[in-house]
Amino acid sequence: MAAKKKRTPNTQNDSWVVIAADSVTETQKPDCDPDFVKLRNPSTEEASLYLLGAGDAQLYEVKAFEEDFHSWFVGQTVQRDGKLLFVTQMDPLYLILPYMIKSGQEGKFQPVDQVVKDDEFPASSRLLRCTRSLTSLHHIAEEKEVGGLKFHRYSQERTMNWLQKKVERTIVALKKKNICVGEGVKSTTYVRVKSESDDREDTEDYLRYAHGLISEYISEELSKALLKHLGLPELKSPKETEPPSKKRKLSDKPVEAGEDYTKFNSADFARKPPKKMTAAQKTLAKVDKSGMKPMSSFFSPKTKAEKK
Amino acid sequence: MFEERCFEPRMSASPPPVQVVAVIYSKIQNRSGKAAVEVKRRATQPPSEQSAAMDLKQFEADNSGSFRLASRIPDVCRTEDCCLGVDEAGRGPVLGPMVYGICFCPVSKKEELKDLKVADSKTLNEAERENLFQKLDEAQSYVGWALQILSPNMISTSMLQRTKYNLNALSHDTAIGLIQYALDSGVQLKEVYVDTVGPAEKYEEKLSQRFPGIQVTVRPKADSLFPVVSAASICAKVARDRVVKGWNFAEDLGEIDADYGSGYPNDPKTKEWLLKYLDPVFGYPQFVRFSWSTAQTLMDSKAVPVHWDDDEEDGEKAAQRQNNRSMLSYFSASAEGDRAQQTHRFFSERRLKSLKSL
Repeated sequence: MAAKKKRTPNTQNDSWVVIAADSVTETQKPDCDPDFVKLRNPSTEEASLYLLGAGDAQLYEVKAFEEDFHSWFVGQTVQRDGKLLFVTQMDPLYLILPYMIKSGQEGKFQPVDQVVKDDEFPASSRLLRCTRSLTSLHHIAEEKEVGGLKFHRYSQERTMNWLQKKVERTIVALKKKNICVGEGVKSTTYVRVKSESDDREDTEDYLRYAHGLISEYISEELSKALLKHLGLPELKSPKETEPPSKKRKLSDKPVEAGEDYTKFNSADFARKPPKKMTAAQKTLAKVDKSGMKPMSSFFSPKTKAEKK
Repeated sequence: MFEERCFEPRMSASPPPVQVVAVIYSKIQNRSGKAAVEVKRRATQPPSEQSAAMDLKQFEADNSGSFRLASRIPDVCRTEDCCLGVDEAGRGPVLGPMVYGICFCPVSKKEELKDLKVADSKTLNEAERENLFQKLDEAQSYVGWALQILSPNMISTSMLQRTKYNLNALSHDTAIGLIQYALDSGVQLKEVYVDTVGPAEKYEEKLSQRFPGIQVTVRPKADSLFPVVSAASICAKVARDRVVKGWNFAEDLGEIDADYGSGYPNDPKTKEWLLKYLDPVFGYPQFVRFSWSTAQTLMDSKAVPVHWDDDEEDGEKAAQRQNNRSMLSYFSASAEGDRAQQTHRFFSERRLKSLKSL
């Protein structure tokens, strides 16, 4: 019936459907528009899209809800790209953290504006302008003040404690929003009766789930360290639980039979002497069998000689 | 893919000469006074009002679904054994609704129905059909009818829905629904005559099983063999003509050019009209049956491609797109995929992704 429908190449569209807090555009200063910027994603280390609110006061991350076969009707137009963009507040420390860690390897106290620099993503330095950035640096670094100037050095211990608090807060939010964290699939429409035992069993599930969520914002290395810090055992990757592949290992030795068949040819594999016959069998053996065909003859093919 | 046949007007072997016969009001035994009053009232009405026997206002107000219209049930039909005919109008056109009609009368009155000269609707022109419908309506002391108007929109949505519901199934179900309506109204049905839809034997068996105790006859050309089917076909045809003529376009299209020919796919005028009213995004007004291949090919070639998630795709590709593992992957040694680079399930379950750029 229909020929293969070809997708037209995705032309650059200049409008998006975005859900954002009012704070994105609120500003005391005029002509300070919010700005979409590309920054280094702390988890993947690649470019990701973020938004700096008006006057760089607040950092927002941009997530896209994207499924196949969606488009928008906007007013009197059709928008082919059916994405729905969510612009949500984010702690700028997550983005500052990788730069601190990198400079921390030198083990020196440094002024923070020298640390948070990225030639690839020049917008990174604007992270420090966010209202919360400088005031919360002590969560991830030790501070020293010399002659009115502040110097910082990365501290793993502080960072771990800070991340643990983040995990705990995430758990509170998960419970409040009734988000399913167990391994099994549960229907959201199925109302479960919460019991005490459930809560106890859930603790690790919640902890693991929240850790996974936080891990989306930190490097893999840090994520593993946090896992230890939280006292969670590492999960085995599914590969290890898979059964071994059925393929035989190749070896240099010639292929040999598993059993020694030559024993059948040896002398000690001679036919065993017939067992002793019972009395009944003996009497049967003496019966006159002349003119009788042996039973086996009924099963062998007829010989020509028998045809008369 | 689509069971669409080219429909050519069926011609009965010899069209009977049309005569305008004076209406004979047969005296009916249990005639309620109401019928007489009805007849008198109608006789005094101007001709334009006479079509009030078929009130299509309700359908015109919302012509997107299915609509039933029925006459009063004659009292005779509740007491005497009746026969019933089923026929349809507008099966083939790409434009407008399909109308199913039933007509029923007592078996004893079959002859009188013949006297009304209800012939196969295909052999008559519109005015003659209107005339005959008028007569049927005047014979309402013993003739009853009911109609089911299936809007083009309903035909489109049925045939194009996720679980395909083809035109034959839709036709069968509509016919069954109308016969059931007659039974529910207390009509003493004994014989049912139906024109063929698909293979006759199968259809007959289906209807017989559905209505035990009723003798069902399915015949090709039933509308020229049985007067009661001819009557049903006239009701259906008249209704379709009126609906098409008074079609109330739900879309804001300004002055609609109503010159679309017969509405059949092979009519060049119809094709031209379809081309003219093709919208690149929406396709057609609801007046058009989207499921007809005529409409589809035009949309495929002239309109913007639209993809649905039940469009057929190659298995492997579709699986990949839906993040399903291909069956084959279970038989080969698992490749070192970038499983580590998967986002946390909170995001993947909610189809949320980070963006690299706008």
